[in-house]
Amino acid sequence: MRVIKQRPMNWIERLYIFEAIRGLWTTLKHAARGLFRYETLPTISYPEGQPEIRNTYRAKHRLMLRPDGTPRCVACGMCAAACPAHCIFIEATQSDDPRIEKRVMRFDIDHLTCVFCGLCVEACPVDALRMDTKVISFEHRTREEFVSHLFDLTNWDPKDYPNDPQSQVAPGGTKNAEALKVWGMEVK
Amino acid sequence: MDIIESRTWIEWVITIAKFAFCFVPVLYILLLIPMERRGAGFMQDRQGPNRSYIKIPYFGKIRLLGYVQNFCDGTKLFFKEMFAPAGVNKFLYYVAPAIPFAIVFLSPCVIPWFGPMVFDWGGKAVRISGSIIDSEVGVLLLFGLSSLSAYGAVLAGWASKSKYSFLGALRTSSMTVSYEVCLGLSMMGILLLAGSFNLTDIVSWQEHHVWGIVAQPVAFFCFLIACIAETGRAPFDVAEGEPELVAGYHTEYGAMQFGLFYMGEYSHICINSFLVATLFLGGYSVPFITTETMQAHMGGSLAILCGVLAFLVLAFLHMIYRYSRKLKATNLTHRFEVLREYSLYKICAWVAVAVLIALGVCSWFFYNPENFVVNGFAVGSFATAVGTALIHLLVLVVKSVMFCWVWIWVRWTLPRFRYDHVMHLGWKIILNIALINLVVTAVVAKLVGGN
Amino acid sequence: MSNYYNMPKLPTEASPKVEIFVDDKAVMVPGDTNLLEALKAVGIETPHVCYHPYLPVSGNCRQCLVEQEGPRGRMLVISCYTPVTPGMKIYTPASSARVKNARKATQEFMLVNHPLDCPICDKAGECTLQENYMECGQNESRLRPEYGKNYHGNPAHQFVDAKGQVRGGKHVDLGPRVLLDEERCVQCDRCVRFMRSIAGSEQLQLAGRADHTYITTFPGEKLDHEYDLCVTDVCPVGAMTAKYFRFQKRVWLLSHTPTVSMDDSLGANIWLDHADGRIYRVMPRCNPEVNRSWLSNTSRLAFQEFDKNRLPSMELHKVTFGNGKIAIVAGGTCTMEDLAAMKMLKESLGDRAELFGGSLLKVTAPDGIAKSGDPCANRAGMKLMGFADVSELLKRASEFETLFTVNANLFGEDANAAKVLEKINTRVALTPFDDETAKKASIAIGVRHWSEVQGTMVNSLNIVQKLSACPVCPDEGLKAPYAVVAFLAGEKLESAADAFKKVTEYVPAFAGLSYDTIKSTGKLLEGGNA
Repeated sequence: MRVIKQRPMNWIERLYIFEAIRGLWTTLKHAARGLFRYETLPTISYPEGQPEIRNTYRAKHRLMLRPDGTPRCVACGMCAAACPAHCIFIEATQSDDPRIEKRVMRFDIDHLTCVFCGLCVEACPVDALRMDTKVISFEHRTREEFVSHLFDLTNWDPKDYPNDPQSQVAPGGTKNAEALKVWGMEVK
Repeated sequence: MDIIESRTWIEWVITIAKFAFCFVPVLYILLLIPMERRGAGFMQDRQGPNRSYIKIPYFGKIRLLGYVQNFCDGTKLFFKEMFAPAGVNKFLYYVAPAIPFAIVFLSPCVIPWFGPMVFDWGGKAVRISGSIIDSEVGVLLLFGLSSLSAYGAVLAGWASKSKYSFLGALRTSSMTVSYEVCLGLSMMGILLLAGSFNLTDIVSWQEHHVWGIVAQPVAFFCFLIACIAETGRAPFDVAEGEPELVAGYHTEYGAMQFGLFYMGEYSHICINSFLVATLFLGGYSVPFITTETMQAHMGGSLAILCGVLAFLVLAFLHMIYRYSRKLKATNLTHRFEVLREYSLYKICAWVAVAVLIALGVCSWFFYNPENFVVNGFAVGSFATAVGTALIHLLVLVVKSVMFCWVWIWVRWTLPRFRYDHVMHLGWKIILNIALINLVVTAVVAKLVGGN
Repeated sequence: MSNYYNMPKLPTEASPKVEIFVDDKAVMVPGDTNLLEALKAVGIETPHVCYHPYLPVSGNCRQCLVEQEGPRGRMLVISCYTPVTPGMKIYTPASSARVKNARKATQEFMLVNHPLDCPICDKAGECTLQENYMECGQNESRLRPEYGKNYHGNPAHQFVDAKGQVRGGKHVDLGPRVLLDEERCVQCDRCVRFMRSIAGSEQLQLAGRADHTYITTFPGEKLDHEYDLCVTDVCPVGAMTAKYFRFQKRVWLLSHTPTVSMDDSLGANIWLDHADGRIYRVMPRCNPEVNRSWLSNTSRLAFQEFDKNRLPSMELHKVTFGNGKIAIVAGGTCTMEDLAAMKMLKESLGDRAELFGGSLLKVTAPDGIAKSGDPCANRAGMKLMGFADVSELLKRASEFETLFTVNANLFGEDANAAKVLEKINTRVALTPFDDETAKKASIAIGVRHWSEVQGTMVNSLNIVQKLSACPVCPDEGLKAPYAVVAFLAGEKLESAADAFKKVTEYVPAFAGLSYDTIKSTGKLLEGGNA
C-alpha cells in the first residue's frame, strides 16, 4: 500500500479566501481566452468539422475479401465467441470452392449492441474482420438498419485503404490482378 | 383630483413610466442565462451552447453568437406539459413557483435607477426621484421583499411531497435566515456613514464622499458573500446540491413551473447585484464626476458616451473580422455559411458605429440647452435631466452586470461547501466580522465625523 | 496391425481392489481392468486417442504412455493395454519427466500434418486432440513455414493449395450420412474397429501404411449402416463428420439435455443438444447397461421431425365423455406420468373406461447395440400399470363408443389394422403431431412432445430411466400429456413430480422412488423383467 502524504496547508491556504481568488484568476484567464481567442478552443464543431481518426481507431467493422471477391471469413464463430456483447450472428454453409471448406452465409453485427471493444478483430484467425473503416457515426431510421449484414460489411472500396496491402488484394485494388493470378492457379 | 393637479403632467408621465423598471430583473434574465452558459463554457475551455439558429433570407442561419439558444430553451419550457406528482397539495404546489417570481416585480421599487431628475418645466421646478418609491425605509423594504422569496422554496418543498424537496426547502430556509442577518449587519456600516436608509441618499453620499467599497471594504466582502449565499448559488447551493438532493426544493417541478424558479433565481441575482452596486459601488453615479459637472457639460458627456459605445462596437467588429479571417483558413464545411452570418453582424455593427459617431458629433457640437424650444416652450433643462438619467442608468447597468458576472464567475470556480461549513461561515465568521466592522465604523465615524 | 484385439475390461463396483504404486504412492485400484481405467478410477486422467472403453483395444496412438517399473528397469508402456497387476509400480507425468516428454513428442508427431482447421472444424471444442494438446502438448511449433503441412494420405485426393502446401481429401464422401476429412484423420482406427466389432459390418478399412495410412471404404462400396453415424462420435478428431450437423453450429454454443430416446423400448440414453430454441443434434449418452455409447441412426435423426407438423396449443374446457364405453389408448411414447394420468382418468370415469397401450408397429429382433426392436418404448411401464395390449382393443373395437388416444398414432402405424377403429364414432386424440390419427379424430388436442417433457419410462431391461424437458417447445402454450389428461379427469397435476407421485401410488415397484433417487443411468426395478 502506498500512502501519499499531502503537504499540510499553510495559514494563507487555510484562510481559503486567497486560494479562492487564485482560482478565480485561473477561471478568468480561461474565460478571457474563450472570449478573445475563441478559435483556439479545442472543441471541434462536429458535423462540419470532422475529427482526425486513425485507422487503429475501433470504428465500424468490415469484412476482408479474397481476390475473387468472396469474404475471407470462414464462419468459425471465434468473433461471436469472443464478443462480450453477443452482437455477432453467424451462419455457415458449405463453400462452392473445393479448396475452401466453410463459407459464411449470414454475418450480422448489431451495432446497437456492439460495444466496439475490438475483441472480435483480435479473435479472428484469418484476419477477416477489421474495424478500420473510420466510420464513427451511425444514423438510421429503424433499429433493424443498425444491424450490418454481409453485403454492408463487404461493401468497401480498396481505394480508401491505400496503405494496406491486404485491402489492395480485394477486387478493385492495385494488387488484385496479381493476387488473382496466384489464387486462380490451377491446383494439383 | 387635487393630487393629480398638484403635479405637472410630465411628472405623472415619468412617475408612471418608472414602473417599467419593474421589468428590469426579467430582462436581465435574457442577459444572464447566455452569460452564465457561455461563460461557463469558456471557463471550462468549451464553446457553450451555440447551435440554435434563426433562418432568415440571404444571411442564412443567424445564431447571434449562441444567443438564440435562450429563446429555444424558453420556448421549450413554456410549451412543456405542466404536471404535478401524485398526492401533492395542488394549490400550494402550483402557487409556490409564483412567489419568487412575483417578488421579482416588487423588489426593484426602491432601487434608485438614476439621480433625482430636477428640471424646469414651464417655469415650475420639478423634482422626480430616481426610484419608483422614494421611501425612507428604502433598503429595509427591499430586504423584506427579497426574504419573502424563501416562502416559495419552503412551500415548494412542502407541497412536493418528496423527501428531497423537503430537505432542500429546509436548507434554503435556514440558509436564507442565517445570511439575512449577515447581510443586514454588514450593510449597517454604510448606512451609518450615509445616515439614511434611503438608497438615493446613500448613493448621493457616496457620490459626494467616497464609494462604499473604499469606505467599507470589509463590509463589502461580507455583503457580497452573504448576497451570493442568499441567492442560493454556488458555492452555497447546498439547497439544491445535486449529489445528495437531486435538485433541492424544485426536484418535482418541470416545465414553466421550474422555469419560474429558474427565472426567480436569476432575477434574485440581478436585484442583489443592483443592491451591491448601489450600496458599495456608488450606484448610478459616474466615477470621478459629480452629477452637477456632468449636467454642466451635457453635450460633451453624451459625446463621450457615444464614443465609448462606438469603441465597443468597433472592438466587436475587430473580433468578427478576426474570426472571419481564421474561419476562411479552416476546412470546415459550413464556413461560408458562418461567414455570411457574420456579414450581417458586420453590417449591423458598421451602421451602429456610424450612428453612434454621428450622435456623438451632433451632441458635441450642437447640444445647447438654451436652444431647445418646442412650440415656444423651453425644454432644455428637461432634456439635460433626461440625458443625465440615461447616463446614470447605463452606469448602473454596467456596474450591476459586472456583479452579475461575479456571481457566475464564482459559481464556476469554487466547489460547493458542505452544509455545516456554510452555517459555520455564516454564523461564526461573517456575522462576527460584520459586527466588529459595525463597531469600528461607528467609533471611527464618531471620532472623525462627530455627528 | 493385427486385425483382432481384445475388448477392454471395464471396472465395475464388484471389481476386486488391488494395491499398486503410482508415483511411489500406494493406491487401491480395481484389479480386473487395464491401467488406464484403473488410473481413471482413482482420478488420474490419461490422455488417449485410440482407446475407447467400448471398442477393442488397438493401442496404436501411443498417447497414453506411462512408465512401469519392470525387470529391465523403468519402461514406457501404453496404459490402455497394460493389465493391472497387484504391486505394480507406475509413474505418471506427475513424477516422471520422461513420460511427460514422451507424451509431448507423441502429441507433436500427431500434429505434424494435422491441418490447422480448428476454426472451421465441427469437432472443435470437443476434440480429443485439442484436449490432449492443452493437457500434455503445448509445443512450440518446430514446423518450417516454407515446408508447411504435408498430406501423405490417399494419393487420389491430394492437391497443392495456393500457398504451395500439399493438402488432400478435404471432403471425401464416405456414404449417405458421413463425410470424411482425410487430412484431419489421425489413423486411430476407432471407426474401423467400431464398424468391425460393434456394427458387425466391415465397411471401413485402413489403407496404406505408416504415415501414408488413410481410411477408406472398399472400392465402389459406401459406408451405409444403421449405426454409421456412431463413427462421427468415436472419431477423436473432426475427420468423420455427420452431414446433417456439418457447419450447423459450433459445439460450445449447444446446451445439453439428458433424456431418453422414446422410439424404441430399449430407451437409448441421449443428449439433446439444443441452442436458440431448437435441437441441433442428438448424441448418445453413455449408459453401460443400456446403449453403452451407441445410438442408431433412426433415433439420432428422429429429432429432425420433432418440430414439424405440430398441433398448436388450445384452450381446454371441461369435457364429458358421453354414456358409452371408452377406450383409453396409450401410445409407445407415453411416459409413466402420462400413464398414471390416464389411470386417473379411468378411475374418474369408472368401469366404462378401459385402458389399452402399445403400438401397431411390428416388433423386430433386438440388434444387440442400441435397439430392442420394439417400437413401443414404454411397454414395460404399461404392463406395470396394467394396460391391456392394443391388439385387444382391435378385437373388441365394436364395444366402444369413444376412442381416447394419447400419443398413439394408431391409424398412421397400421391403417389396415386400425380400420376397425373407424367404427368408433367419437375419437379424441392427444398428440403432438398433426398425424393420421389427429386428422381422423373428432377432437385433436396438441400436447408436448416427449423431448419437451419431464418424466420416466421403463425400458425393456426393466430399468426406470428419466426424461428431461428440453426447452425447444415450438408453442409455449402446449402442455404435457399428463397435465391435459389429468385436467380431463377433473384433477390437476401441476408438475411432473406430482404425476410421478401418482405413479408411485399406482405401481408398487416404484414405491419409494423419486426423481432424485433415480440416477442419470436409470434404476433397475426389483422383481425381474416385467
